[in-house]
Amino acid sequence: MILNALLSPEFFNAALRATTPILFATLASAVASKSGIINMALEGIMLFSALFGVLFSAAFQSAWLGLFVTMILGGFIGFVLAFFVLKLKTDEILAAIAINLIATGGTVFLMLTVSGDRGVSSSIKSLQLPRVALPLIENIPFLGEIISNQNILTYISLIMVVVVHIFLYKTPLGLRIRAVGENKDAAESVGISSQKIQFTALIISGLLAAMGGFFLSGGYMTYFTKDMSAGRGFIALAASTMGGNTPIGGFLVSLLFGAAQAFSNIMQMGASLPYELVQMLPYATTLIGLGIYSYSLMKKRHRLSGK
Amino acid sequence: MKKVLSLLLVVVMIFSLAACAQKPAETPSTETPATETPATETPAADAKPYKAALLLNGTLGDKSFFDSANEGLQKLKDELGADKFDFKVEQMGATAADEPKWEPTLLDYCDTGEYDVIIIGTWQMYEALSAAAQEFPDQKFIFFDETFNEFDTGNFNNIYNVMYKQNEVSFLVGAAAAMMTTDENLPMIDPSNKMIGFLGGMENSIIQDFLVGYIQGAKHVEPEIKVAIAFVGNFYDSAAGKDLALVQYQNGVDVGYNVAGSAGLGQIDAAVDAKRYAIGVDSDQAALLPEKAEFIPTSALKNVGNSLFRAIQMDMEGKLQYGAVEKLGFSEGGVELVKDAHYEEMVPENIRTKIDEFEQQIISGDIVVDTSAGKTTEEIKAIMDSVK
Repeated sequence: MILNALLSPEFFNAALRATTPILFATLASAVASKSGIINMALEGIMLFSALFGVLFSAAFQSAWLGLFVTMILGGFIGFVLAFFVLKLKTDEILAAIAINLIATGGTVFLMLTVSGDRGVSSSIKSLQLPRVALPLIENIPFLGEIISNQNILTYISLIMVVVVHIFLYKTPLGLRIRAVGENKDAAESVGISSQKIQFTALIISGLLAAMGGFFLSGGYMTYFTKDMSAGRGFIALAASTMGGNTPIGGFLVSLLFGAAQAFSNIMQMGASLPYELVQMLPYATTLIGLGIYSYSLMKKRHRLSGK
Repeated sequence: MKKVLSLLLVVVMIFSLAACAQKPAETPSTETPATETPATETPAADAKPYKAALLLNGTLGDKSFFDSANEGLQKLKDELGADKFDFKVEQMGATAADEPKWEPTLLDYCDTGEYDVIIIGTWQMYEALSAAAQEFPDQKFIFFDETFNEFDTGNFNNIYNVMYKQNEVSFLVGAAAAMMTTDENLPMIDPSNKMIGFLGGMENSIIQDFLVGYIQGAKHVEPEIKVAIAFVGNFYDSAAGKDLALVQYQNGVDVGYNVAGSAGLGQIDAAVDAKRYAIGVDSDQAALLPEKAEFIPTSALKNVGNSLFRAIQMDMEGKLQYGAVEKLGFSEGGVELVKDAHYEEMVPENIRTKIDEFEQQIISGDIVVDTSAGKTTEEIKAIMDSVK
């Protein structure tokens, strides 16, 4: 039963679906971390964006326009965070906590103002981004079923891994972001304005997290429910750190997490283990994965140093 | 600069807290002038109205428990008039950030001594209540939807504990689900297997009670039934709820039952994707989600409002039994299955007749619905395994 379910395309499908919002936020975290600021407000940005996605896709009656506005607003929250941290010299963690707290109450407040609902945005006629059947690929048996017919944002998230990688490692701005993150003073000594760079990085981070938030209510689900980001922003922060704050590393960790999540869902269906144990699985897998990774890294270092 | 900044942060935090505790305009106002004016006009009448305070560890607008509680009290106020009965609602918010203020708020209300009874509910308020009831032995409390199990210490003769026989209403849901899953005439059923689903929030005693009744009801009509059981682990991650429900639907479940707060709403989204049925809980979810109503045959309700209405009326007559638990089922109107036009449209008549019969049999005592109360974890696990 479990084995059957594991080999079914639905499993891989579910894994990719669970990965998508975390992947967006992981990339967002990677960009911010590379510039030397930890963006802990991801959770709040995602929650706000999940609501904005519903509100604006309903207002414009266009999911794409809704996504566009949501991304701008996500970028704006990134800007606000940067403003507090860089201009007003707030502690970056405190400012982020404030944003996360506003998000929990603020989203409910906004939803109430707009629709009179507090729990679920069901009375707002929001739109979702479509699922896409990929021509040719969908005809490949098994593989086609896994890869094809996902939400378009899932594909965008995968493309974003490459885009962010190229951005960070192959463009002048990416180089500057990394330079500022490595050593602010050194970067400033060659004429880079570290503030400008960090502002840019946090805005980009906000944009990416907003896409993940939008996916929650406009792809994963078809409505906004309160607190629906459910800690994904924090998981992404961990995933990004575990992946060494690189897009590729972060992608692998979030994929591992998504797969473990989908696996634990199947375990609940088939195995007679206590569900609390099964639910630990995604976190335990990620931890063990990280353990193995850092152990092998340590080995390699030992070998290189010739001891 | 730093000062300005810290001030700003403080404002921001206050705003976020205030946003959680926003009071809607329609909340019945019990400001002092309103209650005092009639009192001065009719000095001879009963000195003061019976006053209740409803403290919610959440907010109104949940279209569920808390709204139901508010409606029950409003109904009583409308019937008796504001000079006989009045109440105040305090919305404390539900998030982790709100939790620290629940107990202080409760203690503040006790401290005023203005209220004849303070109403609170759910398992999350248990410890706060226990502390407050000991500190204020003269203050009376109504506690709903979680068993208060310290009555035998003799210290809590100021608490009336009302519970709902969610197992009874779940029995009907289980019976309906089991009959639907084999009904070939229904459009979204695969009659080849006899499998129904259950999506719980956490495995606490209340959710187990739902589950035990659900399984018994299903087995009552279909001894061979299989029930797929999953728990989200919280009551708010709707996306995770959707994924869990999808796994169930993809593996042959035709009808699911969600008892997981807003995480359970994920099951309804999953039902839409998989073209299957989902039965709602706590609020009429077909009315809550009109666009998805064709996938929601009915919902199981706990009638918190009814129970408070009844309790306060009894208390006014001095008949309410404090220091004890009372469980309300179908016969007292404590629980109900939504049976509106939408239900009649979706559920075939032969099933509906059966459901009505079962309900009568439960009321008359011909069917005794099992409960999770007093059962050990092993016994409940055995019940769950019996339908694997």
